[in-house]
Amino acid sequence: MIKEEYRGAEQWSRNRQAVFTVVWISFLSAAIGTMVFFALFDPVDLTGIFDADLDIDRDAGYAAGFFFFWVLCALCSGMTAFLVRTAPKRKAKQHKQ
Amino acid sequence: MYESAKKIYPREIGGRFARLSYIATLSLLGIFYFLPWLTWDDRQAVLFDLPARKFYLLGLTLWPQDFPYLALLLIIAALSLFFFTALAGRLWCGFACPQTVWTEIFIWMEQWTEGTRSQRMKLDKAPWSFEKIRKKASKQFLWITFSMWTGFTFVGYFTPIRELGADIMALNIGGWTFFWGTFYGLATYGNAGYLREQVCKYMCPYARFQSAMFDKDTLIISYDEDRGEPRGSRKRGDDPAEKGLGDCIDCTLCVQVCPTGIDIREGLQYECIACAACIDACDSVMDKMNYPRGLVRFTTENALKRKPSRILRPRTMIYATLLLVLCSGLVYSLATRTPLILDVIRDRNSLYREISDDRVENIYTLKLINQSHEARSFVLKVTGFEGIELDGAPDQIVVEGGGVMSLPVRVRAHRDDVQGIHTIHFSATAVDDPSVRVEEDSRFLGPIP
Repeated sequence: MIKEEYRGAEQWSRNRQAVFTVVWISFLSAAIGTMVFFALFDPVDLTGIFDADLDIDRDAGYAAGFFFFWVLCALCSGMTAFLVRTAPKRKAKQHKQ
Repeated sequence: MYESAKKIYPREIGGRFARLSYIATLSLLGIFYFLPWLTWDDRQAVLFDLPARKFYLLGLTLWPQDFPYLALLLIIAALSLFFFTALAGRLWCGFACPQTVWTEIFIWMEQWTEGTRSQRMKLDKAPWSFEKIRKKASKQFLWITFSMWTGFTFVGYFTPIRELGADIMALNIGGWTFFWGTFYGLATYGNAGYLREQVCKYMCPYARFQSAMFDKDTLIISYDEDRGEPRGSRKRGDDPAEKGLGDCIDCTLCVQVCPTGIDIREGLQYECIACAACIDACDSVMDKMNYPRGLVRFTTENALKRKPSRILRPRTMIYATLLLVLCSGLVYSLATRTPLILDVIRDRNSLYREISDDRVENIYTLKLINQSHEARSFVLKVTGFEGIELDGAPDQIVVEGGGVMSLPVRVRAHRDDVQGIHTIHFSATAVDDPSVRVEEDSRFLGPIP
Protein backbone atom coordinates (compact mmCIF):
# COMPACT_ATOMS: atom_id res chain seq x y z
CA MET A 1 0.00 0.00 0.00
CA ILE A 2 2.70 2.47 1.01
CA LYS A 3 5.10 3.19 -1.79
CA GLU A 4 8.71 2.36 -1.04
CA GLU A 5 9.93 5.81 -1.99
CA TYR A 6 8.13 7.34 0.99
CA ARG A 7 9.45 5.10 3.72
CA GLY A 8 12.80 6.26 5.09
CA ALA A 9 14.39 5.79 1.68
CA GLU A 10 17.60 7.54 2.61
CA GLN A 11 19.41 5.31 5.06
CA TRP A 12 22.97 6.18 5.94
CA SER A 13 25.47 3.47 6.62
CA ARG A 14 26.95 3.31 10.10
CA ASN A 15 30.30 4.53 8.83
CA ARG A 16 28.78 7.51 7.09
CA GLN A 17 26.86 8.39 10.25
CA ALA A 18 30.05 8.15 12.27
CA VAL A 19 32.01 10.45 9.95
CA PHE A 20 29.36 13.15 9.85
CA THR A 21 28.78 12.95 13.60
CA VAL A 22 32.51 13.28 14.32
CA VAL A 23 32.83 16.30 12.01
CA TRP A 24 29.77 18.05 13.39
CA ILE A 25 30.34 17.42 17.08
CA SER A 26 34.01 18.41 16.85
CA PHE A 27 32.90 21.58 15.07
CA LEU A 28 30.60 22.45 17.99
CA SER A 29 33.30 21.67 20.56
CA ALA A 30 35.81 23.76 18.63
CA ALA A 31 33.38 26.68 18.53
CA ILE A 32 32.92 26.55 22.30
CA GLY A 33 36.64 26.06 22.91
CA THR A 34 37.49 29.00 20.66
CA MET A 35 35.01 31.27 22.42
CA VAL A 36 36.28 30.40 25.88
CA PHE A 37 39.97 30.48 24.99
CA PHE A 38 39.90 33.77 23.09
CA ALA A 39 37.72 35.46 25.67
CA LEU A 40 40.65 34.91 28.00
CA PHE A 41 43.57 35.42 25.60
CA ASP A 42 43.90 38.06 22.91
CA PRO A 43 45.55 36.47 19.83
CA VAL A 44 47.63 39.58 19.30
CA ASP A 45 49.09 39.25 22.79
CA LEU A 46 49.88 35.61 22.15
CA THR A 47 52.01 36.40 19.13
CA GLY A 48 54.27 38.40 21.42
CA ILE A 49 54.87 35.34 23.58
CA PHE A 50 55.84 33.00 20.77
CA ASP A 51 59.52 32.28 20.26
CA ALA A 52 59.09 32.09 16.50
CA ASP A 53 58.55 35.30 14.58
CA LEU A 54 54.80 35.45 14.12
CA ASP A 55 53.15 38.50 12.65
CA ILE A 56 49.51 37.58 12.20
CA ASP A 57 46.51 39.76 12.91
CA ARG A 58 43.60 39.00 15.20
CA ASP A 59 41.34 37.48 12.57
CA ALA A 60 44.03 35.04 11.54
CA GLY A 61 44.61 34.26 15.20
CA TYR A 62 40.96 33.42 15.81
CA ALA A 63 40.80 31.33 12.66
CA ALA A 64 44.01 29.46 13.48
CA GLY A 65 42.75 28.75 16.99
CA PHE A 66 39.39 27.57 15.74
CA PHE A 67 40.81 25.19 13.15
CA PHE A 68 43.38 23.88 15.59
CA PHE A 69 40.61 23.04 18.07
CA TRP A 70 38.46 21.54 15.31
CA VAL A 71 41.21 19.25 14.11
CA LEU A 72 42.15 18.29 17.66
CA CYS A 73 38.56 17.48 18.65
CA ALA A 74 37.98 15.66 15.36
CA LEU A 75 41.01 13.46 15.99
CA CYS A 76 39.77 12.79 19.51
CA SER A 77 36.17 12.05 18.47
CA GLY A 78 37.33 10.15 15.44
CA MET A 79 39.58 7.87 17.46
CA THR A 80 36.80 7.36 20.02
CA ALA A 81 34.23 6.56 17.36
CA PHE A 82 36.66 4.20 15.67
CA LEU A 83 37.45 2.32 18.86
CA VAL A 84 33.79 2.02 19.81
CA ARG A 85 32.69 0.99 16.32
CA THR A 86 35.39 -1.64 15.91
CA ALA A 87 35.20 -3.07 19.41
CA PRO A 88 35.48 -6.86 19.28
CA LYS A 89 32.23 -8.71 19.82
CA ARG A 90 31.66 -10.16 23.24
CA LYS A 91 31.98 -13.89 23.35
CA ALA A 92 28.79 -15.68 24.39
CA LYS A 93 28.90 -16.88 27.98
CA GLN A 94 29.65 -20.56 28.38
CA HIS A 95 27.08 -22.32 30.50
CA LYS A 96 28.69 -24.15 33.36
CA GLN A 97 27.34 -27.59 34.09
CA MET B 1 27.19 -1.96 3.65
CA TYR B 2 26.58 1.33 1.89
CA GLU B 3 23.11 1.84 0.46
CA SER B 4 23.09 4.56 -2.17
CA ALA B 5 20.95 7.46 -1.02
CA LYS B 6 17.52 7.60 -2.56
CA LYS B 7 15.77 10.93 -2.50
CA ILE B 8 12.74 11.40 -0.28
CA TYR B 9 9.94 13.39 -1.88
CA PRO B 10 7.54 14.25 0.95
CA ARG B 11 4.15 15.31 -0.29
CA GLU B 12 3.03 18.89 0.32
CA ILE B 13 0.12 19.55 2.66
CA GLY B 14 -1.66 22.65 3.92
CA GLY B 15 -3.36 23.13 7.25
CA ARG B 16 -3.12 24.76 10.68
CA PHE B 17 0.39 23.58 11.42
CA ALA B 18 1.66 24.25 7.92
CA ARG B 19 0.51 27.83 8.41
CA LEU B 20 2.20 27.96 11.83
CA SER B 21 5.40 26.66 10.30
CA TYR B 22 5.18 29.29 7.57
CA ILE B 23 4.81 32.10 10.11
CA ALA B 24 7.60 30.73 12.31
CA THR B 25 9.98 30.41 9.35
CA LEU B 26 9.33 33.93 8.10
CA SER B 27 9.57 35.50 11.58
CA LEU B 28 12.75 33.73 12.65
CA LEU B 29 14.54 34.20 9.34
CA GLY B 30 13.30 37.76 9.24
CA ILE B 31 14.89 38.43 12.60
CA PHE B 32 18.19 36.85 11.51
CA TYR B 33 18.48 38.85 8.28
CA PHE B 34 17.14 42.09 9.71
CA LEU B 35 18.96 42.33 13.03
CA PRO B 36 22.47 43.31 11.77
CA TRP B 37 20.98 46.32 9.99
CA LEU B 38 19.57 47.78 13.23
CA THR B 39 21.56 50.65 14.71
CA TRP B 40 21.90 51.80 18.32
CA ASP B 41 23.33 55.21 19.10
CA ASP B 42 25.72 55.43 16.20
CA ARG B 43 26.82 51.86 15.89
CA GLN B 44 25.34 48.52 14.92
CA ALA B 45 22.85 47.32 17.55
CA VAL B 46 23.92 43.65 17.54
CA LEU B 47 27.62 43.27 16.80
CA PHE B 48 30.16 40.74 18.01
CA ASP B 49 33.15 42.90 17.22
CA LEU B 50 35.93 40.32 17.21
CA PRO B 51 38.79 42.62 16.10
CA ALA B 52 37.92 45.14 18.85
CA ARG B 53 37.14 42.32 21.31
CA LYS B 54 33.80 43.72 22.38
CA PHE B 55 30.26 42.36 22.06
CA TYR B 56 27.46 44.88 21.53
CA LEU B 57 23.91 43.82 22.36
CA LEU B 58 21.63 46.81 21.90
CA GLY B 59 22.61 49.12 24.78
CA LEU B 60 24.91 46.61 26.45
CA THR B 61 28.66 46.48 25.82
CA LEU B 62 30.37 43.28 26.91
CA TRP B 63 34.15 43.03 27.33
CA PRO B 64 36.17 39.82 27.44
CA GLN B 65 36.20 40.22 31.21
CA ASP B 66 32.41 39.93 31.07
CA PHE B 67 32.68 36.41 29.73
CA PRO B 68 30.87 34.91 32.78
CA TYR B 69 27.72 36.74 31.63
CA LEU B 70 27.95 35.09 28.22
CA ALA B 71 28.46 31.71 29.84
CA LEU B 72 25.44 32.31 32.07
CA LEU B 73 23.41 33.32 29.02
CA LEU B 74 24.32 30.07 27.27
CA ILE B 75 23.35 28.05 30.35
CA ILE B 76 20.02 29.85 30.46
CA ALA B 77 19.49 29.11 26.76
CA ALA B 78 20.19 25.40 27.31
CA LEU B 79 17.87 25.21 30.33
CA SER B 80 15.12 27.00 28.41
CA LEU B 81 15.41 24.37 25.71
CA PHE B 82 15.16 21.55 28.26
CA PHE B 83 12.19 23.26 29.94
CA PHE B 84 10.47 23.73 26.60
CA THR B 85 11.15 20.10 25.70
CA ALA B 86 9.66 18.81 28.96
CA LEU B 87 6.52 20.78 28.18
CA ALA B 88 6.13 20.59 24.45
CA GLY B 89 8.37 17.78 23.24
CA ARG B 90 10.09 18.36 19.92
CA LEU B 91 8.18 21.46 18.93
CA TRP B 92 11.54 23.23 18.75
CA CYS B 93 12.71 20.73 16.11
CA GLY B 94 9.70 21.05 13.88
CA PHE B 95 9.15 24.80 14.02
CA ALA B 96 12.06 26.80 15.40
CA CYS B 97 15.33 24.96 14.85
CA PRO B 98 17.58 26.78 12.36
CA GLN B 99 18.06 23.55 10.42
CA THR B 100 14.29 23.19 9.94
CA VAL B 101 13.75 26.88 9.21
CA TRP B 102 16.44 27.09 6.53
CA THR B 103 15.38 23.75 5.04
CA GLU B 104 11.82 25.12 4.81
CA ILE B 105 12.84 28.12 2.79
CA PHE B 106 15.06 26.02 0.51
CA ILE B 107 12.10 23.70 -0.08
CA TRP B 108 9.94 26.71 -1.00
CA MET B 109 12.54 27.76 -3.55
CA GLU B 110 12.61 24.19 -4.87
CA GLN B 111 8.83 24.05 -5.18
CA TRP B 112 8.79 27.46 -6.81
CA THR B 113 11.21 26.41 -9.54
CA GLU B 114 10.68 22.68 -9.93
CA GLY B 115 7.04 22.34 -9.00
CA THR B 116 5.00 20.00 -6.84
CA ARG B 117 6.08 16.60 -5.62
CA SER B 118 4.91 14.64 -8.66
CA GLN B 119 6.35 17.27 -10.99
CA ARG B 120 9.72 17.05 -9.23
CA MET B 121 9.78 13.28 -9.36
CA LYS B 122 8.98 13.34 -13.08
CA LEU B 123 11.67 15.94 -13.65
CA ASP B 124 14.33 13.90 -11.90
CA LYS B 125 13.49 10.80 -13.93
CA ALA B 126 13.30 12.69 -17.22
CA PRO B 127 16.29 12.90 -19.58
CA TRP B 128 18.18 16.16 -19.75
CA SER B 129 16.40 18.77 -21.82
CA PHE B 130 16.38 22.54 -22.07
CA GLU B 131 13.38 22.64 -19.72
CA LYS B 132 15.14 20.49 -17.14
CA ILE B 133 18.34 22.55 -17.30
CA ARG B 134 16.37 25.76 -16.98
CA LYS B 135 14.45 24.54 -13.93
CA LYS B 136 17.43 23.00 -12.19
CA ALA B 137 19.60 26.02 -12.94
CA SER B 138 17.03 28.48 -11.56
CA LYS B 139 16.74 26.44 -8.40
CA GLN B 140 20.52 26.35 -7.99
CA PHE B 141 20.70 30.06 -8.74
CA LEU B 142 18.15 30.84 -6.03
CA TRP B 143 19.82 28.48 -3.58
CA ILE B 144 23.33 29.83 -4.21
CA THR B 145 22.27 33.48 -4.10
CA PHE B 146 20.35 32.91 -0.89
CA SER B 147 23.30 31.04 0.62
CA MET B 148 25.64 33.88 -0.29
CA TRP B 149 23.27 36.39 1.28
CA THR B 150 23.19 34.19 4.38
CA GLY B 151 26.99 34.02 4.53
CA PHE B 152 27.18 37.79 4.12
CA THR B 153 24.63 38.33 6.92
CA PHE B 154 26.46 35.92 9.19
CA VAL B 155 29.75 37.78 8.75
CA GLY B 156 27.77 41.00 9.28
CA TYR B 157 27.26 40.00 12.89
CA PHE B 158 31.04 40.13 13.39
CA THR B 159 32.06 43.07 11.22
CA PRO B 160 29.74 46.06 10.78
CA ILE B 161 27.43 45.00 7.98
CA ARG B 162 27.08 48.35 6.23
CA GLU B 163 30.83 48.74 5.78
CA LEU B 164 30.99 45.11 4.75
CA GLY B 165 28.36 45.70 2.10
CA ALA B 166 30.18 48.78 0.82
CA ASP B 167 33.45 46.84 0.67
CA ILE B 168 31.89 44.00 -1.26
CA MET B 169 30.33 46.40 -3.76
CA ALA B 170 33.80 47.88 -4.26
CA LEU B 171 35.16 44.32 -4.63
CA ASN B 172 37.41 44.99 -1.66
CA ILE B 173 36.89 41.80 0.35
CA GLY B 174 39.34 40.87 3.09
CA GLY B 175 40.74 37.35 3.12
CA TRP B 176 39.11 36.09 6.29
CA THR B 177 35.80 37.85 5.59
CA PHE B 178 35.61 36.07 2.26
CA PHE B 179 36.58 32.77 3.82
CA TRP B 180 34.00 32.80 6.64
CA GLY B 181 31.23 34.17 4.42
CA THR B 182 31.84 31.43 1.89
CA PHE B 183 32.21 28.78 4.60
CA TYR B 184 28.91 29.67 6.22
CA GLY B 185 27.17 30.09 2.86
CA LEU B 186 28.40 26.68 1.78
CA ALA B 187 27.26 25.13 5.06
CA THR B 188 23.79 26.65 4.60
CA TYR B 189 23.64 25.40 1.01
CA GLY B 190 24.69 21.87 1.95
CA ASN B 191 22.59 21.57 5.11
CA ALA B 192 19.39 23.14 3.82
CA GLY B 193 19.60 22.06 0.21
CA TYR B 194 20.76 18.49 0.57
CA LEU B 195 21.25 17.13 4.08
CA ARG B 196 17.93 18.42 5.45
CA GLU B 197 16.41 16.01 7.95
CA GLN B 198 19.48 13.77 7.80
CA VAL B 199 21.07 16.27 10.17
CA CYS B 200 18.26 15.59 12.63
CA LYS B 201 18.43 11.85 12.22
CA TYR B 202 22.17 11.32 12.30
CA MET B 203 24.05 14.39 13.51
CA CYS B 204 22.08 16.33 16.05
CA PRO B 205 22.89 15.60 19.71
CA TYR B 206 19.67 17.24 20.89
CA ALA B 207 17.65 14.84 18.75
CA ARG B 208 19.43 11.94 20.44
CA PHE B 209 18.87 12.95 24.05
CA GLN B 210 15.66 15.01 23.88
CA SER B 211 13.49 12.07 24.82
CA ALA B 212 15.25 11.90 28.19
CA MET B 213 13.38 15.07 29.14
CA PHE B 214 10.00 13.60 28.27
CA ASP B 215 7.50 12.32 30.76
CA LYS B 216 3.91 11.15 30.48
CA ASP B 217 2.66 14.74 30.39
CA THR B 218 4.91 15.95 27.57
CA LEU B 219 3.20 16.99 24.36
CA ILE B 220 3.79 14.42 21.63
CA ILE B 221 2.29 13.66 18.24
CA SER B 222 0.32 10.47 18.37
CA TYR B 223 -2.12 8.37 16.39
CA ASP B 224 -5.21 7.51 18.39
CA GLU B 225 -5.10 3.74 18.02
CA ASP B 226 -8.30 3.14 19.98
CA ARG B 227 -10.18 5.39 17.62
CA GLY B 228 -8.47 4.48 14.40
CA GLU B 229 -8.14 0.70 14.52
CA PRO B 230 -8.98 -1.53 12.83
CA ARG B 231 -8.06 0.55 9.80
CA GLY B 232 -9.47 -0.01 6.37
CA SER B 233 -10.94 1.69 3.37
CA ARG B 234 -14.67 2.10 3.03
CA LYS B 235 -17.21 3.70 0.73
CA ARG B 236 -18.49 7.21 1.34
CA GLY B 237 -21.52 7.13 3.53
CA ASP B 238 -20.72 3.71 5.05
CA ASP B 239 -21.10 3.49 8.79
CA PRO B 240 -17.67 2.40 10.05
CA ALA B 241 -19.10 0.86 13.20
CA GLU B 242 -21.28 -1.45 11.09
CA LYS B 243 -18.28 -2.63 9.07
CA GLY B 244 -16.22 -3.09 12.26
CA LEU B 245 -13.75 -0.40 11.21
CA GLY B 246 -12.08 2.44 13.09
CA ASP B 247 -11.75 5.98 11.78
CA CYS B 248 -8.49 5.35 9.90
CA ILE B 249 -9.21 4.79 6.22
CA ASP B 250 -5.61 3.75 5.51
CA CYS B 251 -5.12 6.48 2.92
CA THR B 252 -1.39 6.59 3.94
CA LEU B 253 -1.40 10.36 3.48
CA CYS B 254 0.26 10.75 6.90
CA VAL B 255 3.19 8.68 5.63
CA GLN B 256 3.38 10.49 2.30
CA VAL B 257 3.78 13.94 3.88
CA CYS B 258 6.36 12.91 6.48
CA PRO B 259 9.77 14.51 5.79
CA THR B 260 11.58 11.80 7.75
CA GLY B 261 9.63 8.97 6.14
CA ILE B 262 8.07 7.35 9.22
CA ASP B 263 4.56 5.99 9.79
CA ILE B 264 3.16 7.76 12.85
CA ARG B 265 0.55 5.03 13.21
CA GLU B 266 3.32 2.75 14.43
CA GLY B 267 3.79 5.07 17.38
CA LEU B 268 6.09 7.98 18.11
CA GLN B 269 9.52 7.23 16.68
CA TYR B 270 12.98 8.69 17.17
CA GLU B 271 13.06 10.25 13.69
CA CYS B 272 9.87 12.27 14.17
CA ILE B 273 10.70 15.97 14.36
CA ALA B 274 7.14 17.02 15.33
CA CYS B 275 6.57 19.07 12.20
CA ALA B 276 2.84 18.12 12.37
CA ALA B 277 2.51 17.57 8.63
CA CYS B 278 0.82 14.26 9.42
CA ILE B 279 -1.70 16.08 11.62
CA ASP B 280 -2.56 18.48 8.81
CA ALA B 281 -2.82 15.57 6.38
CA CYS B 282 -5.10 13.45 8.55
CA ASP B 283 -7.28 16.43 9.53
CA SER B 284 -7.85 17.21 5.87
CA VAL B 285 -8.96 13.63 5.22
CA MET B 286 -11.15 13.55 8.34
CA ASP B 287 -12.82 16.73 7.09
CA LYS B 288 -13.58 15.09 3.75
CA MET B 289 -15.00 12.01 5.51
CA ASN B 290 -17.03 14.17 7.91
CA TYR B 291 -15.27 12.55 10.86
CA PRO B 292 -14.00 14.67 13.72
CA ARG B 293 -10.43 15.92 13.45
CA GLY B 294 -7.63 14.73 15.68
CA LEU B 295 -7.14 11.10 14.71
CA VAL B 296 -3.49 12.11 14.57
CA ARG B 297 -2.97 14.94 17.00
CA PHE B 298 -0.81 16.62 19.60
CA THR B 299 -1.50 14.91 22.90
CA THR B 300 0.24 13.40 25.91
CA GLU B 301 0.84 9.82 26.93
CA ASN B 302 -1.46 10.30 29.91
CA ALA B 303 -4.18 11.82 27.78
CA LEU B 304 -4.04 8.83 25.44
CA LYS B 305 -4.61 6.57 28.43
CA ARG B 306 -7.56 8.83 29.37
CA LYS B 307 -5.70 10.01 32.48
CA PRO B 308 -5.52 13.69 33.42
CA SER B 309 -2.49 15.64 32.13
CA ARG B 310 -0.83 18.30 34.17
CA ILE B 311 1.35 21.21 33.11
CA LEU B 312 2.45 21.94 36.67
CA ARG B 313 4.49 19.01 37.84
CA PRO B 314 7.82 18.61 39.67
CA ARG B 315 9.88 18.45 36.47
CA THR B 316 8.45 21.60 34.91
CA MET B 317 8.38 23.48 38.18
CA ILE B 318 12.02 22.76 38.89
CA TYR B 319 13.05 23.92 35.41
CA ALA B 320 10.91 27.03 35.75
CA THR B 321 12.34 27.88 39.16
CA LEU B 322 15.93 27.37 38.01
CA LEU B 323 15.31 29.56 34.98
CA LEU B 324 13.69 32.26 37.07
CA VAL B 325 16.60 32.31 39.51
CA LEU B 326 19.26 32.37 36.79
CA CYS B 327 17.51 34.97 34.66
CA SER B 328 16.91 37.33 37.55
CA GLY B 329 20.48 36.77 38.67
CA LEU B 330 21.73 37.71 35.21
CA VAL B 331 19.52 40.78 34.92
CA TYR B 332 20.36 41.93 38.44
CA SER B 333 24.12 41.53 38.08
CA LEU B 334 24.13 43.22 34.66
CA ALA B 335 22.08 46.11 35.99
CA THR B 336 24.26 46.60 39.06
CA ARG B 337 27.67 45.86 37.59
CA THR B 338 30.38 48.44 38.04
CA PRO B 339 31.36 49.82 34.63
CA LEU B 340 35.00 49.80 35.63
CA ILE B 341 37.79 47.24 35.45
CA LEU B 342 41.19 47.51 37.09
CA ASP B 343 43.95 45.09 36.08
CA VAL B 344 47.18 45.02 38.07
CA ILE B 345 50.31 43.44 36.60
CA ARG B 346 53.37 43.34 38.79
CA ASP B 347 56.68 43.86 37.05
CA ARG B 348 58.42 40.51 37.31
CA ASN B 349 61.85 41.70 36.30
CA SER B 350 62.86 42.42 39.87
CA LEU B 351 61.83 41.39 43.35
CA TYR B 352 62.14 44.90 44.66
CA ARG B 353 64.24 48.00 44.14
CA GLU B 354 66.10 49.90 46.76
CA ILE B 355 65.78 53.66 46.60
CA SER B 356 66.75 56.66 48.67
CA ASP B 357 65.93 57.06 52.36
CA ASP B 358 66.05 53.32 53.11
CA ARG B 359 62.93 52.71 51.10
CA VAL B 360 62.07 49.89 48.68
CA GLU B 361 59.72 49.99 45.72
CA ASN B 362 57.87 47.53 43.44
CA ILE B 363 56.80 48.46 39.93
CA TYR B 364 53.34 47.72 38.56
CA THR B 365 51.44 48.33 35.32
CA LEU B 366 47.86 49.27 35.99
CA LYS B 367 45.16 49.00 33.31
CA LEU B 368 42.07 51.05 33.89
CA ILE B 369 39.09 50.19 31.67
CA ASN B 370 36.18 52.60 31.61
CA GLN B 371 33.21 50.51 30.47
CA SER B 372 30.73 53.37 30.48
CA HIS B 373 29.96 55.36 27.36
CA GLU B 374 31.29 58.74 28.49
CA ALA B 375 34.75 59.86 29.59
CA ARG B 376 35.31 59.65 33.32
CA SER B 377 37.87 60.72 35.92
CA PHE B 378 39.24 58.24 38.44
CA VAL B 379 41.30 58.44 41.60
CA LEU B 380 43.83 55.70 42.37
CA LYS B 381 44.76 54.63 45.87
CA VAL B 382 46.79 51.85 47.39
CA THR B 383 46.63 50.37 50.89
CA GLY B 384 48.21 47.42 52.62
CA PHE B 385 50.67 48.47 55.31
CA GLU B 386 52.16 51.36 57.23
CA GLY B 387 53.62 54.21 55.21
CA ILE B 388 52.66 52.87 51.81
CA GLU B 389 53.06 55.38 48.95
CA LEU B 390 51.86 55.44 45.39
CA ASP B 391 54.06 57.19 42.87
CA GLY B 392 53.43 57.85 39.19
CA ALA B 393 49.66 58.24 39.28
CA PRO B 394 48.27 61.72 38.58
CA ASP B 395 45.69 63.10 41.02
CA GLN B 396 42.89 62.32 38.57
CA ILE B 397 43.11 59.97 35.62
CA VAL B 398 40.80 60.66 32.71
CA VAL B 399 39.77 57.66 30.63
CA GLU B 400 37.53 58.05 27.58
CA GLY B 401 34.27 56.13 27.29
CA GLY B 402 35.01 52.49 26.47
CA GLY B 403 38.71 53.21 26.67
CA VAL B 404 41.72 51.57 28.29
CA MET B 405 44.41 53.55 30.16
CA SER B 406 47.74 51.89 30.83
CA LEU B 407 49.68 53.39 33.73
CA PRO B 408 53.07 52.40 35.14
CA VAL B 409 53.18 53.11 38.88
CA ARG B 410 55.52 52.48 41.75
CA VAL B 411 54.58 51.51 45.27
CA ARG B 412 57.07 52.55 47.94
CA ALA B 413 57.57 51.92 51.63
CA HIS B 414 60.28 51.98 54.28
CA ARG B 415 62.34 48.79 54.21
CA ASP B 416 61.64 48.02 57.84
CA ASP B 417 57.89 47.95 57.22
CA VAL B 418 57.94 45.52 54.35
CA GLN B 419 59.86 42.35 55.10
CA GLY B 420 58.88 39.44 52.89
CA ILE B 421 55.67 39.21 50.90
CA HIS B 422 52.67 41.46 51.54
CA THR B 423 49.26 41.66 49.96
CA ILE B 424 48.37 45.18 48.90
CA HIS B 425 45.08 46.58 47.58
CA PHE B 426 44.76 48.97 44.68
CA SER B 427 41.52 50.84 44.31
CA ALA B 428 40.10 52.98 41.53
CA THR B 429 37.14 55.25 42.30
CA ALA B 430 35.17 57.38 39.88
CA VAL B 431 35.27 61.03 40.87
CA ASP B 432 31.68 61.76 39.87
CA ASP B 433 30.22 58.66 41.55
CA PRO B 434 32.08 57.10 44.49
CA SER B 435 29.91 53.97 44.28
CA VAL B 436 31.72 53.15 41.02
CA ARG B 437 34.75 51.60 42.64
CA VAL B 438 36.85 48.49 42.14
CA GLU B 439 39.57 46.98 44.24
CA GLU B 440 42.30 44.66 43.01
CA ASP B 441 44.87 42.84 45.11
CA SER B 442 48.50 42.31 44.29
CA ARG B 443 51.75 41.37 46.01
CA PHE B 444 54.46 43.63 47.29
CA LEU B 445 57.86 42.01 47.77
CA GLY B 446 60.32 43.40 50.27
CA PRO B 447 63.74 42.32 51.54
CA ILE B 448 63.84 38.92 53.24
CA PRO B 449 64.78 39.43 56.88
